[in-house]
Amino acid sequence: MVDNIIEMNNIVKVFPPSLVALDNVTVDFRKGEIHAIVGENGAGKSTLMKVLYGMEERSAGEIIHRGKPIHFKQPGDAIANGIGMVHQEILLIPEYTVWENVVLGVEPKNFFGRLDAAKAQQQVAQKIDEFQFNLNPIAKVEDISVAARQKVEILKLLFRNVSVLILDEPTAVLTPQEIPQLFSELSRSKENGHTILFISHHLDEVIELSDRTTVLRKGQKIATVDTASTSKRELAQMMVGREVIFTSLAEKGHPGEVVLSVENLNHEHHNGHHFLKDIHFQVRAGEIVGVAGVEGNGQFELVNSIMGLLEHTRGKISVQGKDITNLPILDRRKLISFVSQDRSKMGASVTASIRENSIMTHHRLNTRLTRWRGRLMLKEATQKFTQEIEQQFAVSMGSMDNPFRSLSGGNQQKVILGRELLLNSPFVLLDQPTRGLDVGSIEYVHQQILKMRDEQRAILLISADLEELFRLSDRILVLHRGSIVANLPTDQTNLEEVGILMLEGKEKADE
Amino acid sequence: MNKKIISGISGIFVAMLLGALIMALQGYQPFETYAALFSYSLGDFFSLATTLQNSVPLILTGLSASIAFASGPVNLGQPGQFLMGALFATIGGLYVDLPPILMVPFLILLAMLGGALWSGIAALLRQWFGMSEFITTLMLNMIADFFTYWAITYPFYDQAAFSPMTPLINKSGWLPEFGEFNSSVIVMLLAFAGVWFVFTRLTAGYEWRITGQNSLFARLGGCDINKNYMTVMLLTGALAGLAGGLVIMAGPHRFLKGIGANYAWDGVMIAMVANNGLIATVLYGLFFATLQTGALGMELITAVPSEFIQVLQAAIVLIIVAGREYLDIFMDRTAARRKAKERSA
Repeated sequence: MVDNIIEMNNIVKVFPPSLVALDNVTVDFRKGEIHAIVGENGAGKSTLMKVLYGMEERSAGEIIHRGKPIHFKQPGDAIANGIGMVHQEILLIPEYTVWENVVLGVEPKNFFGRLDAAKAQQQVAQKIDEFQFNLNPIAKVEDISVAARQKVEILKLLFRNVSVLILDEPTAVLTPQEIPQLFSELSRSKENGHTILFISHHLDEVIELSDRTTVLRKGQKIATVDTASTSKRELAQMMVGREVIFTSLAEKGHPGEVVLSVENLNHEHHNGHHFLKDIHFQVRAGEIVGVAGVEGNGQFELVNSIMGLLEHTRGKISVQGKDITNLPILDRRKLISFVSQDRSKMGASVTASIRENSIMTHHRLNTRLTRWRGRLMLKEATQKFTQEIEQQFAVSMGSMDNPFRSLSGGNQQKVILGRELLLNSPFVLLDQPTRGLDVGSIEYVHQQILKMRDEQRAILLISADLEELFRLSDRILVLHRGSIVANLPTDQTNLEEVGILMLEGKEKADE
Repeated sequence: MNKKIISGISGIFVAMLLGALIMALQGYQPFETYAALFSYSLGDFFSLATTLQNSVPLILTGLSASIAFASGPVNLGQPGQFLMGALFATIGGLYVDLPPILMVPFLILLAMLGGALWSGIAALLRQWFGMSEFITTLMLNMIADFFTYWAITYPFYDQAAFSPMTPLINKSGWLPEFGEFNSSVIVMLLAFAGVWFVFTRLTAGYEWRITGQNSLFARLGGCDINKNYMTVMLLTGALAGLAGGLVIMAGPHRFLKGIGANYAWDGVMIAMVANNGLIATVLYGLFFATLQTGALGMELITAVPSEFIQVLQAAIVLIIVAGREYLDIFMDRTAARRKAKERSA
């Protein structure tokens, strides 16, 4: 008889009004196992875990914990019962030290009912030793790395004697070098009798780390399998419901003449911090240039200076020989297609209709949509234009007058991609174009990017996903602290080399 | 659209039931009171014409607020813009005399200029110094209030009057009346048709609407945010100014102390009830004008004081605004519960 610590039976979760996030999911978790939950975006992974953790109320079904039915109203109830969750975004107080963050809310008290700092520090240090976490308890959280912060989050839960740890995409914020360390820490806690449930997008790490794997698809459980007896390909097939081809992509591009040229671009804060330092590179027609780097090393400033959102920059940016450094945004958009990383903030107005979102920028540049020298909008023309996007980019939408947010993430990105590609501009700027998309949509976006390259457009692709960069790019630039520290042809480098450059930013040897 | 009508009508109905309850508790006859209210505002041609004329300043300031809020700028300066528009039209009417066919459009344009000037100051303060129009328009309301009071007390004071007011404007600037029906209603309808066309059919209106929902997206899409901001501020100021000018030209034909009454704040309130929809603003404007016009008759016939209408208005605003949000949540939740039951069965 296997010892089930948690059984979730017939769980249903409907988000009002009618989004079925979990559709009769039954799954059990065994004591002392590492259990991976995989599925595409929107498959219900996070929702299932949040229901268990008491963050979302279930609409129907039961949860049995150590043989007793439970119903958590809030995360505090779950923690009191030994179930803790680490979220994707890290929720710590940066100004506090590690130990202060760990004891917050459960502080050991002294005789007078005040915080017993010495005792708290000692207890935290003891926990760190017990799990070999390699953390300095008196360091401030704002001074330590993202990986270390994540450890603090896990430590917080262990300190509260949690026996079930839920991790929501724990590796998403880590660099390739930091992941093995997390894995060894998780394995160690498992040996200490903890049960670990983790959500992941990356099948490699699922195979490497987990004992069993549950696959969700569109809110339904497809299967729970022993990880040892399955394969990456089989899991992927269950996730998307069809076979996915893992290929490092076809042939390379055929670079033509220079389209984008960035010369000596600098941007500094008045306190002297360099956000961009002597950035110098070119992108040729028919070429995909990837930009790698840990988030916050100048990608944001680079994108904003190309798009014209950033003031006080020095240097020169030109497209097809035309100096755009000081042009207004509309004039830049005649030359630049842009897909932003944040659909709801920069890429669309989610409350406006799909049609209104489809015609943005075109409403100024495409004379077919307007009369009276651009002043009168032709409703029929905009409808026809939206239909073109719908058909050419295989968008599944209800009525085009529905709000944009009624579309799924993948369909939203298709509309945005379609809108930007139909601008027919020579240069395409893609800022994390597959962020938050499921496997099927990512595949689609990648095909579109390659198609653009074959149309001899120049493409600058910024991505946090190294595999994506290696899959698509002809060259990879590495950004580190605002400088380009490497410019490498993709076939002459590898993941490890780029990973180290991202972290250490070794200076350019030549040039 | 259907849902809006349902929530509007049911909101008004519930609020009136609540009003009836309040009246009954105080010993008044609710049924009689409502009968008096509506017969005095809609009962005959004269009442109807009065209600329509009273709706003009409410609807125009309401449209001003709706367009501003839906496009981004928080223009709360309708009271000040209204007064400046009224003052400009009055001064023009005192010192210029043209044939009516020219005089009426001339004064209308002056009124719009006055309002636009006042909102334009707020817009420039924002563009030059980054001051929020939310604050500056409110401050400018105070300045306009005291400035116009000074203007009618000193330079434009009517020597023959006992309280601060200007002399009557030249007759050529009076809006023509057709029997009981005042042509200010026609001007209001033309203004509505104009802004509706701009807002829903022109490229500019499209950019304003998108900017109001997500200005960064609009900016990246190539919209000239600053220019649009300026245009919206000037246009909404002009609408509020027009309301002021029409009140002078249709009604007392002179600038009296307190001419602004509460029109502009009622307009802002109507914009909120209408959720910044232009057609809804007109409909709610008509309804609130009905209540306000009928209040007088209600006071005459029954013992209920006309202030009761303010209670009723407040109840309508709260119930419609809260009900609109809650109806959505309620319908969504019911649908979700039904679906969950289906799935787990």
